[in-house]
Amino acid sequence: MTQSNRIAGGLVDRSKQLSFTFNNKSMTGYEGDTLASALLANGQRLVGRSFKYHRPRGIFSAGSEEPNAMVHLRRGAAQEPNTRATVAELFNGLEATSQNHRGSLEFDLMSVTDLASPFLSAGFYYKTFMWPKKFWEKLYEPAIRASAGLGRLSMQEDPDSYDKGFLHCDMLIIGAGPAGLMAALTAGRAGARVILADEDHLMGGRLNAETLSVDDQEGSAWAAAAAAELDAMPNVRLMTRTSVYGAYDHGVYGALERMTDHVPTSGGKPRQVLWRIYTKRAILTAGATERSIAFPMNDRPGVMLAGSVRTYVNRYGVAPGKKVAVFTNNDDGWRTATDLHAAGVSIAAVIDSREITPLAAIPGALILMGASVASTSGYLGLKSIATSSGVKIETDCLAVSGGWSPNVHLTCHQRGRPTWRDDIGAFVPGGDLPIGMHVAGAGNGSLALASSLKEGANVSASVASDLGFAATAAFPSAEDQSTDITPFWHVEGKGRAWIDLQNDVTVKDVKQSQAEGFRSVEHLKRYTTLGMATDQGKTSNVLGLAIMAEATGKSIPETGTTIFRPPYSPVPIGALAGRARGKDFRPFRLTPSHKWAETHGADFVEAGAWLRAQWFRKGSEKGWRDSVDREVEATRGSVGICDVTTLGKIDIQGRDAAAFLNKVYANGFAKLAVGKVRYGLMMREDGIVMDDGTTARLRENHFIMTTTTANAGPVFRHMEFARQCLWPGMDVHLISTTDGWAQFAVAGPNARNLLSKIVDMDISNEAFPFMACAETTVCGGTPARLFRISFSGELAFEIAVPARYGDAMMTKLMEAGEEFDATPYGTEALGVMRIEKGHAAGNELTGQTTANNLGLGKMVSKKKDSIGNKLSERPEMNREDDLRLVGFKPVDTSKPLAAGAHFVDNGKEAVTKNDLGWMTSVAYSPELGHSIGLGFLKKGDQRKGDKLRAVDLLRGGEVKVEVVSPHMIDPEGERLRA
Amino acid sequence: MIINHPLLGPRDAAEFYVMGDADLINRPDPDAEGAAEAFYEYAYLRDNPAGEHRELWYHEQGDRSWLVVTRSTLTHEIMNVEMARDVALAKGRGQ
Amino acid sequence: MPDMLTAEPFLGGYTLDLGDVAVAEVTDISIVSIAMPLGGGDALANAVQAAWGCALPAPRGTSVSSDGSVTLIFSTPDQTLAILPGVDGLAVTDVAAKLGDVGYYTEQTDNWVGLRASGAKSISALERICPLDLASMSVGGAERTVMEHLGVFIMREDDERFLLLSGSSSAKSFLHAVELSMRNVT
Repeated sequence: MTQSNRIAGGLVDRSKQLSFTFNNKSMTGYEGDTLASALLANGQRLVGRSFKYHRPRGIFSAGSEEPNAMVHLRRGAAQEPNTRATVAELFNGLEATSQNHRGSLEFDLMSVTDLASPFLSAGFYYKTFMWPKKFWEKLYEPAIRASAGLGRLSMQEDPDSYDKGFLHCDMLIIGAGPAGLMAALTAGRAGARVILADEDHLMGGRLNAETLSVDDQEGSAWAAAAAAELDAMPNVRLMTRTSVYGAYDHGVYGALERMTDHVPTSGGKPRQVLWRIYTKRAILTAGATERSIAFPMNDRPGVMLAGSVRTYVNRYGVAPGKKVAVFTNNDDGWRTATDLHAAGVSIAAVIDSREITPLAAIPGALILMGASVASTSGYLGLKSIATSSGVKIETDCLAVSGGWSPNVHLTCHQRGRPTWRDDIGAFVPGGDLPIGMHVAGAGNGSLALASSLKEGANVSASVASDLGFAATAAFPSAEDQSTDITPFWHVEGKGRAWIDLQNDVTVKDVKQSQAEGFRSVEHLKRYTTLGMATDQGKTSNVLGLAIMAEATGKSIPETGTTIFRPPYSPVPIGALAGRARGKDFRPFRLTPSHKWAETHGADFVEAGAWLRAQWFRKGSEKGWRDSVDREVEATRGSVGICDVTTLGKIDIQGRDAAAFLNKVYANGFAKLAVGKVRYGLMMREDGIVMDDGTTARLRENHFIMTTTTANAGPVFRHMEFARQCLWPGMDVHLISTTDGWAQFAVAGPNARNLLSKIVDMDISNEAFPFMACAETTVCGGTPARLFRISFSGELAFEIAVPARYGDAMMTKLMEAGEEFDATPYGTEALGVMRIEKGHAAGNELTGQTTANNLGLGKMVSKKKDSIGNKLSERPEMNREDDLRLVGFKPVDTSKPLAAGAHFVDNGKEAVTKNDLGWMTSVAYSPELGHSIGLGFLKKGDQRKGDKLRAVDLLRGGEVKVEVVSPHMIDPEGERLRA
Repeated sequence: MIINHPLLGPRDAAEFYVMGDADLINRPDPDAEGAAEAFYEYAYLRDNPAGEHRELWYHEQGDRSWLVVTRSTLTHEIMNVEMARDVALAKGRGQ
Repeated sequence: MPDMLTAEPFLGGYTLDLGDVAVAEVTDISIVSIAMPLGGGDALANAVQAAWGCALPAPRGTSVSSDGSVTLIFSTPDQTLAILPGVDGLAVTDVAAKLGDVGYYTEQTDNWVGLRASGAKSISALERICPLDLASMSVGGAERTVMEHLGVFIMREDDERFLLLSGSSSAKSFLHAVELSMRNVT
């Protein structure tokens, strides 16, 4: 295909021809083209099908406001749906395909829906697909989804990577049109730290699309010079291809920078970067967007926005049509006619809705004042139009201008409400801007060039001065082009008149919704879908509510406008996710023996951010139970080793450290002797158990607290709160040492024999009894801490060395333990042994359990004030018949137990009123030879020996259980004191 | 959101953990008369104003200070930021 | 002693040089936290002055000993991180002996993995993960913040050189975050 519509001029680089395909048809364009300009250059007017009616659609605009020309870009996994052809930069080898049709684009099988359009008006789905209710999910919704819609996902993993980042500036200037460039020059010259961002790859905005001059240069040349001056300033960061999509609290802005979308492949670098920009001030110089006029059958390919038509001619050297007609209600529309005529494009007619003197004489063109377009023809592309008075005009491109709407979107992101200006027939930013935001230029309603340049400079100088920079506003010479307008919204007549092309919303839909009682613009939007989807109604919102106002007989300010939320333009989910994909979703914490465990058959489990070994597969072991049973038996039979580094460790020091522990623990700590460890129970102020652990007193004023793995962070935070806010007069200091020490549990009857070979001190029962602790060394000098504590119920120690020795320590323990068949064990074996001993863990410490529930009520000291003490005294938390933690065994010991099963008395129905509690943890005990469980049971402490039903209604199944002591192995604790 | 830390200057809210009503500083005297009721109110009853609200924010990924942030729940404007420890001391909690 | 355990750096002493930017694990420092007793600020400051010839660091800053060997980083209103040269046993013992009974000392060496990021593109790389304004950070400035969910101390050692300290258990994830940032900008 040749570039039949390419004409002279423009900013494209004709020395760099690019090949691309559209629906597999080969075409060419030039560097500097967008896909849209290249398609138009190749005479391709039909580019897609509409959302609801599958109407043929063409390119409507030349920017990010595009409602129609959405395509699939690229192929395979990299295929991106709903890409606006108007912002997709052309590159060599680009592949684009049209979307939302079955069969070919020219003969869409779904276009039959267009024939049904009289029935498919606003609210059709809500009214029609109501009954029967169950049909919705299975039949109606899939059918509607199949027929309506936009592009399709590739259904493959996105092959590109994305990144995020943080930027800082004194002034963020959003949009690099005339006002933005002037704002950036003014602030940049004054020395302020400036970021100037624009969604285009070329700075200049409308200057690149108009034939206006600045300082006696072509506007585009002036813009290029301004951009070059800014680029040379070290205090200015120019960000092209960057959409500032959201204005957030306190001067924070979101921006999407497209790094590699304009080249064939990303080359392994992030395709897009999502920036969070911290600003002292921001100047929104976002320009304005043209809107259409609603007239019958105004959706045909070839009907375009007038400003965009001249963008294609002036910037890209492309004539969107061979014989162009203009329909306008304002002076700006005439610029399309004069610019096109000057570029040699034939003008068929200028139709102005106003009864005024024609603004120009254009040879060969029919000039019709006080006229309007009442119909069009040409199914796959515009062929002709007819005016209300019946004049038929042959034309293949109708340039429509209904006026320009300032891009107020970002001013609304903190609920700012735009206000209506009658003189320009548009909403402008209201007074309630986000904190730190200023507005200038066309985006502020200063639509003409000289005013825009001047306002950009003035606002910037004033903001820079506020920030302490000596800024002066200097203005280039330019003229204010005429922008007079007499609002004219729609043409009555036969046939549908589209307001929102993307959602197929017509004048009839708006009137109907008004007639059905949807009077608020917000309701109008939801009922008709006006202004939804990827373009968020940039070209249609004002038109829609003007017609709504007309229908209700109210003024536009009375009718009001919907406001905008981020994002201003679509942001891919991939960019929002950034790097947080797959295994990079979040960071992992590894234990010091991780590498050792990896090489010794460990299967890992996520415990919060930690990866912990859950068991170590050995030899021919088939299932996890084989490994876990062996680890438990080996530990209880000889000695086992477990990495327990993940438990939170908090170093607590100060003159009042003991008094402080007395406040945060429910049980007493003041009298704990130096060199001893005590189990501590921590409550929330509401009397519910928060955490538990052991705390060692190394010195008079020095304690080491351990927390559960999961609560390390929350407990630290809680204690900082207690320290700073509740008892700020106490001398106590906290610091985490969790990562600093590699800690290993060495448990089992041979634990002492093993450790004696390594630890440089006497650890006999006499010298180092149960619950002793010491700072010591191992292996003749490596610093260490030793604790005689036991979670397994065996004779056990926990030995800690600085984390950098962790790997060596694990190896050393295994070497020294070889003669005892020392066995590494994981979290599962740890869990089995703690259930056998009746120790509460996460399944029991649910944030809903009291000390009484856990059977630990006696630990709560009545002699002192501690957090949670007072409220734990409430009668409901001290009921005799409350839940108590007890043990369970199956009556038929061959049966497994199930956690989550509920207890019901024999002979009672398994219904809520008979519910006596539930099973929290279960395990198979190799020592006992059957399944065991822990659970909360009403009056559990008084029911030892009773037999109950354990009913699992969720998964089905029931087991008869006997209530036993939670201390199912060595209830007297003889082993751990051995 | 940006919190202007009294010691460290403006910091992104992402560095903080928020705990709500700063009234939590006013833990009742457990030995006073009516302490049970006072603790009940302290633990459970919070105002939820539309407008100015004093909140506790913890600079968890920073200097670990608890702060009292006075903030409008309507506009998110932050009117004042204090070290919670100073607030607590001013209330006589250092005794 | 022959039997003593061998220390292993958390990242095996990893280094990577991409030209404009480089990263290296810092394996030759010890870290001790010094807490200031309530009401004991002056005594601690005097001891620090006597021992190292420098003041306690101000918020967002560092303070360097007169011989340049020790750097103190502001960490909390009543805690300071001392970064000392070399690593051997527990540094806390030496610091406690040097300063005396005027502070509370906690070994922190192995809590942290150290990375040194340097090169002309170090800020371009770090701005992908660090929310702070590094361009405005003065040499000798230090802050704690969060990068990729991980708590990090960042200190500007020179115009194009930063020292980063993050939790040692997540050393691999932290290195990945820093390295990927560097690869993404080179």
